[in-house]
Amino acid sequence: MLKYWRVWLLVVMVFASVMAIGFKTYPYGRDAVEIVYVSNDSSARGILEQGMFITNINGEKIPDIGTWNLITSGIRDRNVTLRVNGKNYEFYVNETMGIDAIDIERTNLNFGLDLRGGTRIILKPKENATKETMDQVISTLQTRANIYGLREMNFFSIRGADGDYYLQIEVAGIKRDIIDELLSAQGRFEAKISKPVEISGGSGTIQLVSESFPVTMAGNDTIMIGGMAYEQGDSFTLGGIEFEYVNATDTRLFLMGKAYDGDDIELIYSDPQRSGIMPIQGGYRFFFGVLVSPEGAQRFADITSGVQSYLDLVGGERYLESEIFLYLDEQLVSSLRISSDLGGRIVQEPQITGSRVEQEDAIQEKLRLQAILRSGELPTSLETVSVGVISPALGEEFFNSTLYAALFAAGAVIIIIFVRYRSLRISIPMVFIGLSEVVIILGISAANDAMIWLVALLINFLIVSISWWKKFEIDIYAWIGAILIPLLGMATWTIDLPAIGGIIAAIGTGVDHQIIIADETLSRRSGDKRDYTVREKIKRAFFIIFGAAATTIAAMIPLMSIGIGFVRGFAITTIVGVLAGILVTRPAYARIIEAMNKE
Amino acid sequence: MAKGKGVLASKSVIIIPVMILLLSVGFLAYGYMQTGEWFQRSIELKGGTLITVNSPSGFSTGEITESLESAYGTIVLRELRSFSGYAMTIEVSSDVNPDDVIRTLGSLGVDVTDSSIETIGPSLGEAFWFQAQLGIVIAFIFMGIIVFGIFRTPVPSMAVMMAAVSDIIITLAMMQVFGIELSLASFAALLMLIGYSIDTDILLTTRILKTEGDLNGKIWSAFKTGITMTGTTLGVLVAILVTTSSAVLFGIASVLAIGLVIDIINTWLQNATILKWHAERRGL
Repeated sequence: MLKYWRVWLLVVMVFASVMAIGFKTYPYGRDAVEIVYVSNDSSARGILEQGMFITNINGEKIPDIGTWNLITSGIRDRNVTLRVNGKNYEFYVNETMGIDAIDIERTNLNFGLDLRGGTRIILKPKENATKETMDQVISTLQTRANIYGLREMNFFSIRGADGDYYLQIEVAGIKRDIIDELLSAQGRFEAKISKPVEISGGSGTIQLVSESFPVTMAGNDTIMIGGMAYEQGDSFTLGGIEFEYVNATDTRLFLMGKAYDGDDIELIYSDPQRSGIMPIQGGYRFFFGVLVSPEGAQRFADITSGVQSYLDLVGGERYLESEIFLYLDEQLVSSLRISSDLGGRIVQEPQITGSRVEQEDAIQEKLRLQAILRSGELPTSLETVSVGVISPALGEEFFNSTLYAALFAAGAVIIIIFVRYRSLRISIPMVFIGLSEVVIILGISAANDAMIWLVALLINFLIVSISWWKKFEIDIYAWIGAILIPLLGMATWTIDLPAIGGIIAAIGTGVDHQIIIADETLSRRSGDKRDYTVREKIKRAFFIIFGAAATTIAAMIPLMSIGIGFVRGFAITTIVGVLAGILVTRPAYARIIEAMNKE
Repeated sequence: MAKGKGVLASKSVIIIPVMILLLSVGFLAYGYMQTGEWFQRSIELKGGTLITVNSPSGFSTGEITESLESAYGTIVLRELRSFSGYAMTIEVSSDVNPDDVIRTLGSLGVDVTDSSIETIGPSLGEAFWFQAQLGIVIAFIFMGIIVFGIFRTPVPSMAVMMAAVSDIIITLAMMQVFGIELSLASFAALLMLIGYSIDTDILLTTRILKTEGDLNGKIWSAFKTGITMTGTTLGVLVAILVTTSSAVLFGIASVLAIGLVIDIINTWLQNATILKWHAERRGL
């Protein structure tokens, strides 16, 4: 049996590919839908997120998106209970549920937007951008996307062959206006600081650095400042600072003062001296400095002036009773404590710090805060150079018509091969080899498959070692294939329509090459002066095949960098398909033909 | 069959591929003189907006063209039929807001639920066009290196290169005839054509130069193998052309199909004749 080691290699790689495509664990069961978007007016906003799995609604199972849409369309003005990621959530639905969901992917294949439906936008910075600028743009937009609840919107910075950077944004199944909103979002940043004011005997003093304003309680939560009465939620200006009256107790009055807006943040430091992560007891602390305008620094001093401090028993440090709240487009995104030694002082380069238990979380939080502070001032303005929108229905139709096309194509190949050779023993292996190539190409492109391919690599290595030990024929190409294909398998790329075109092209060459092998080895040409051995004939067939394959790969290489990735899927798929063909499936096919010839 | 053998045996048949090539160059040049462009390029390679609407039933294209032209200036409207229904593509300038066009279509009673929009800015389109031109030059340089590496002799190598160049030029001309625009997808197909063209050429050259026997017999056996290869690939492509509703796959498949038919002529009439002349001179 081991004489067929090249066939065994093919079997191992087809099996690994099937596993790579289909092996998937469902932590919350197969019957579920995945959340893609929670709209602003949904009461689940902020609780449920993109990427979570809904398994149950009001005790009813949700096996697919059809059921979900049917049940949710009838719900309004009542409470619903959702089972999401294994936990129950109950909330009130006003007008609509406001949760968009999709069926869970049943495979590990990454299908492109043109097959799933979605939006792809390509933007170009108006000025020449560097890699750093692009990273800043992406982190800013990512932050905005998170604020809008679009957690899995994909941002890529791509470099065109002309050296210019482009920004590509992809979102599946989402309407284009949401992206427009995201890009046009003002990103208006505000930092507000809470200011507690001590009240005794119905009156107190709002202390700024060089001024103070008396305040008296006038009952019914009304306060009097400088002869004016204010209710909760009212705003007023004291000493050039905009304050909001939040609430009051018998002993304290809470105000919220606006310290900085986007214009006050002049610089965000990211050099190692002023920005970084360091381990502290029980976690990691992140810090970075910002340069604020003199006016902003003065407002900070005024608001924090006269505020009491307290000792944090966990960290052993003193903090002000004031906290700083960061808002983006009037949505609260973060709040931070203020070190007690900063109270009432003019600090032009304050440091922003916080801590997280995990290092990764601390890094993420630091990036997020930096992005928020930068937001509103995208480092460069962007112009839209390309927009592609494909409706999910159209994507599904492309997908289905492609499946039909594959079936028709397989049928056409079987018929033509059978007509030519009149032998099922030649045509059936040919069709199976062709199908195995499709499976291997898809398996290589699949995601989350590194472990599977590692196992395949080890088994291949074992097979190759045994064949070498047993002194079977040497086949360098099959050996290279046994190692290279599992390594390629760990890569992942998107199967879009051009990639499907690439599969067709690769299978086309694959079948062509098998015909060459079959014709070279099986035919006895009258003119031959001597009988060539089967092995010599196979060698000649492989000379032709390698020449053709090398040219095909060479022609595909320039295509990789054309059109900033529009047809990269075609090039990658064709190259991988041709490689898998010459290194795995054709050696196996040649071995099958050789065996048939000996009978 | 014997008749076919006779055609392949005659050296004067080389006139057919040469004539087709000259006609194609003439046709492209005529187009260039008329429009200032060698080929019709898709929006990806010149900038613009393409709106695609799919529907199970047909469209009243005349009426739609009229309404849209009055509102948005010059448009290009095409209708594509497939197994699964009809598709209509509308090309407008990139400064027209595609959502407005979709709205206008809706008011004309067109069902626009299955639609897609693709916009490419003019500068990006020009950049892609430049990359494409550079890409094909690089592809030919790579191909030349590999082909010379395989055969190590000038005449067969040049013959193979000429067949590939001629395949691409004639295919480009045929694309103009059939109204297939040069897009990134059809460009990918053109590059792929190099691979398919080389397949049969290397097969033929190897059979002629590296095996023994009667020259015409060798060409005939190579032809049988080659035509089976091209036949299966064409079978696959036709299957796709009749089933797909995707403009991308349709573009790739139609260009490959045209190119393969052209390649039959260039390989078996042109390249075979050159190689035969070469083999006879060298006494093979």
